[in-house]
Amino acid sequence: MRILLAIATYFAYIFIIFMYSIKLKKYLRLPLHLRTEVYPVIPGDQTPKERSYYEDPDWWTRPQRHHLLQRVWFLFSDYFLLREYFRRDRSYWLFLYPWHIGFILIIIFHILCFFGALASLLGIPVAAGSPSIFGNAIYGLTLAAGVISFISGLFGSIGILIKRLTDKGLRNYATPQNYFTYILLLAVFLSGLYSWYFDPVFSVYRNFWKGLITFKPIDVEPATASHILLFAFLLIYLPFTRSLHYITRLFGFLLIRWDDKPNLRGSVLEKKVDEMLNLKISWNGPHVKPDLTWKEIASEAIVREKKQVSK
Amino acid sequence: MSLCKKIEDINRADDPLVEIKSTDLMSLPNILDKSIQEPPLKRLTEEQKQQYEGSLDGFVAIGLPRPKSKQEEEEFIRKFLNGLEKLFIKENNWTFLQPLVHSLEYCVKCQLCSDSCPVYVASGRKEIYRPTFRPELLRRIINKYVKKQRAWVAKLTRSDIELNSTVIGRLAELAYRCTLCRRCTQVCPIGVDNALVSREIRKLFSQEMGIAPREIHELGTVQQLKVGSTTGITPPALEDIILFIEEEIKEKTGKEIKIPFNKKGADVLLLHNAGEFISWPENIEAFAILFDAANIRWTLSSELGGYDAVNYGVWYDDVQMARIAVKHAQVAKELQVKKINVGECGHAHKAFIVIADRVLTGDLNIPRESAFPFLENLVLSGKIRLDPNRNNFPVTLHDPCNIVRLMGIVEPQRRILRKICPQFMEMEPHGVDNYCCGGGSGFAIMGGRNFPDWRVHISGRMKLKQILEAFENVKKPEIKKYVCAPCSNCKGQMRDLISTYGLQEKYGIRYGGLVELIVNAMADIEKPFIEWEA
Repeated sequence: MRILLAIATYFAYIFIIFMYSIKLKKYLRLPLHLRTEVYPVIPGDQTPKERSYYEDPDWWTRPQRHHLLQRVWFLFSDYFLLREYFRRDRSYWLFLYPWHIGFILIIIFHILCFFGALASLLGIPVAAGSPSIFGNAIYGLTLAAGVISFISGLFGSIGILIKRLTDKGLRNYATPQNYFTYILLLAVFLSGLYSWYFDPVFSVYRNFWKGLITFKPIDVEPATASHILLFAFLLIYLPFTRSLHYITRLFGFLLIRWDDKPNLRGSVLEKKVDEMLNLKISWNGPHVKPDLTWKEIASEAIVREKKQVSK
Repeated sequence: MSLCKKIEDINRADDPLVEIKSTDLMSLPNILDKSIQEPPLKRLTEEQKQQYEGSLDGFVAIGLPRPKSKQEEEEFIRKFLNGLEKLFIKENNWTFLQPLVHSLEYCVKCQLCSDSCPVYVASGRKEIYRPTFRPELLRRIINKYVKKQRAWVAKLTRSDIELNSTVIGRLAELAYRCTLCRRCTQVCPIGVDNALVSREIRKLFSQEMGIAPREIHELGTVQQLKVGSTTGITPPALEDIILFIEEEIKEKTGKEIKIPFNKKGADVLLLHNAGEFISWPENIEAFAILFDAANIRWTLSSELGGYDAVNYGVWYDDVQMARIAVKHAQVAKELQVKKINVGECGHAHKAFIVIADRVLTGDLNIPRESAFPFLENLVLSGKIRLDPNRNNFPVTLHDPCNIVRLMGIVEPQRRILRKICPQFMEMEPHGVDNYCCGGGSGFAIMGGRNFPDWRVHISGRMKLKQILEAFENVKKPEIKKYVCAPCSNCKGQMRDLISTYGLQEKYGIRYGGLVELIVNAMADIEKPFIEWEA
C-alpha cells in the first residue's frame, strides 16, 4: 500500500506539472493579436476609473502610463474575493466562494505539508510550542489551511452541485464531466475531513511527506490513505478540465482584456506587428486572394481599386 | 413558444425554433400614465421562409439561401468546417487567435454574463440569445468535428450535435443576434469574451464562405473600396454635397465658410462617417462652423476612401477591416497631415484608432485621435464664446459602446455637456457600463426582410427603456428633450426607435449629435442651430 501511495503521489505531481507546463507554453506562444481591450483597464483607479489615455488630446505625445503592479494586485486579490460574483449573483457566490477557497487552501495545505516535512528533516521541530517560530508557524498554518479547506470545500462542493442541478441556466450548460468534477472534489474534501478525524494535527500526513522526500515511503492509516489517493487522482485529472483558468485568467486579463499598449512608430511592438503582417493567409472567400500576406492583401485593394476607378 | 431550451435543441426541425412574441418582451415604462404602444412584429412571408434560412427565431439578417440539393448541402458543410479549422491557424487568424482560444477553452459557463446582455434580457430571456449559447454551440461543434472527440468523450462533453445546413444556417443567423457591445465580456471574471466569439463566427462565414449581410459586405466594405463610400457617394458627388452644406451654413448662421478639401500639410484630417453627409448634414456643418471659429488648420479629403470613416470590417471580416484601415491611412499619408481626427462615429473610432493600431506600421502609422478630447479642448479653452442658456432643455447622453467600453473615452463628452447644457442628465447605467443602442455591429444599417423589426423591438429595447426613464421627470411633450447620440450608427437606431414608438410627436423627444449642441450654444450665432421639427 505504501508503495502505491508513494508512486501515485510522485506520478500525480510530475504529471500535473508536465501537463500544465505544456498547456501554458501553448497558450503563451499564441501570436500577438489585434487590440481588443475592454474598459476600465486600470482596476481600482478612481480618477475616474474608466478613463483611457485616449481622453488626452495628442495622447501619443504624452508619457505612457504603466499599471502592471496595480493590475496584478487586483487579479491576485480577486482570488480571495470573487468580486464580480459577489456583485452580480450573491447566491452563486455563497457556494462558489467556499468551493474556491477550499480549492486554494487544499493546494496551500499540501505545499505546507511538504515544507513542514522538509523542516522536520532539517531538524526544526514542527509542532505546537516548538522552540522555532518557523516550526510553530508551519504547524499552525498547515492545521488551519487543512481544516478550513476541507470544511469550506465540502460545503461549497455540495452547494455548487445543488446550484448546478437546480438552476436552469446552469444545468442546461453543465456536462457529465462537470458533475464528475464536482463529485470528485467533494470526495477529496470529504476524505480530507475524514483523515483529519484520525490525524488531528496532520502529523501522519507530514510523516508521509518525509517518506516521500527521503524515498522511504511509510504506511498511513486508511483514512489518510484514501485522501492521498483521491488527491493524487485529482491532480492527474485536473489537466483534462478547464481548471487551468486559475492561471490563464491572469493572462486573459493582462494580455487581452487590459492590453492597451499602443503601437508607436519605431517601437518593438511595431516590429512584431510587421512580422504578423507578413504571414500568408489561405482563406477562400470570394473577396480574399489566398497566398498573399496580410500586408499584400491589405494594400492590394488600393492598387487594384485605384486602377478600376481610373478606367 | 420556445422550443430551444438547451443547446442540443438546435438540431430540432421546428420552424422557427423560437417564436418571438411581443407579450414575452421586457416591459417598457409607462410614460404620461400610458403604456407605450407596441407595434406588431413583422413575420416572414411563406415565400421568404422557403427562400431563406430563417428557422432560428423567424427573423432574417443575412438572407442565407437554403441548399437546393444534398450535394449542395454537403459542399456547404465542408466549407464551413474548412473555415472553422482556419480560425485556429496562426497565419489565418493571428488577429484574434489568443482571445478566441481563451474564450473557448476557459469559459466555465457560470452564466454571470447573462443578465448583462440587453438582447437576452429584453427578449424575455430567450435561451438562444444568452451570451454563452453561441460559444457553447460552437465549442460542441469543434469538439465533435474539429477535435474529433471519440463518441464516449463527446457524450461526456455533450458534444453530440448533428451538423447540417439548418444548424449551420442557424449559427450564422445567431452570430447576427449579438450587437458586439461586449457588456458580457466586461463582467466575466475569467476574461472570456463571448461577443468576440460572435464576431469570429461572422468572420468564418465571410472570409471562407463569402456569407455576410449584403448591407455590410456588398453595399458596405466592397462598395467603399470600389467607389469610396458605403453610401455610394463618389468623390465628385461629395463635392456637390459640400457645396450644399456650405449654403446651408450660410443660411443658418450667416457665416460664409469654405470647407477645406485636400489641403496638404494641414494639422488635422477630419474623417466623418459618410452617412452624415446624407442623413445628418447638420453634423458636418457644425464641425465646420466650430473648426472655422477656432481657426483650426484642418481639411477633409475627397480622395477615394478618404471621406468615409466607416470600417464595417470590424464587425465581420479582418481582411476587409485591414484594407479599409490601410486605405484611410494612405489618404492621410498623401495629404501629409499631422494627425487624423475621427468625427462622431463610434465604430470608426474603435476600428481606426484601436484595432488598426496593430495593422498600420511605418509611414502609415499616423497619429489618430478621437474628436471628443479635441472638442473638449475647444469648448473649455474659451476660444469660442458659448452661452449655455441656449441649450436650456433636458439633455441626456447615449454612450456609444465603441467609444466608452471599448476605448475608455468617457469624460470629455460629459465635461462638454456639463458646461453647455444646464439640464444635462445621465441615463442609467452610463459610461463604460452603458447599454448598446441596439443598432451596433451593423444592425442599424441592416434593413433587409424583417430584421429591422427585431432590431427595434429587441436589441434596441433596453435603450428605449433607458431614454424613457432618463426623462421620467420631464414627461410632458411640450418640454423639448434631446438625446445626444454622438455616433452615426447610434443615430440611425435612435431615428428608428423614436419614429417606431412616436416619441417625438407624443413625448417631445428628439436626437442628435454632440457638436450640434456646441454650435447651438455659440453666442455669435443669431438663430438656434438645432431645429426641433419632426
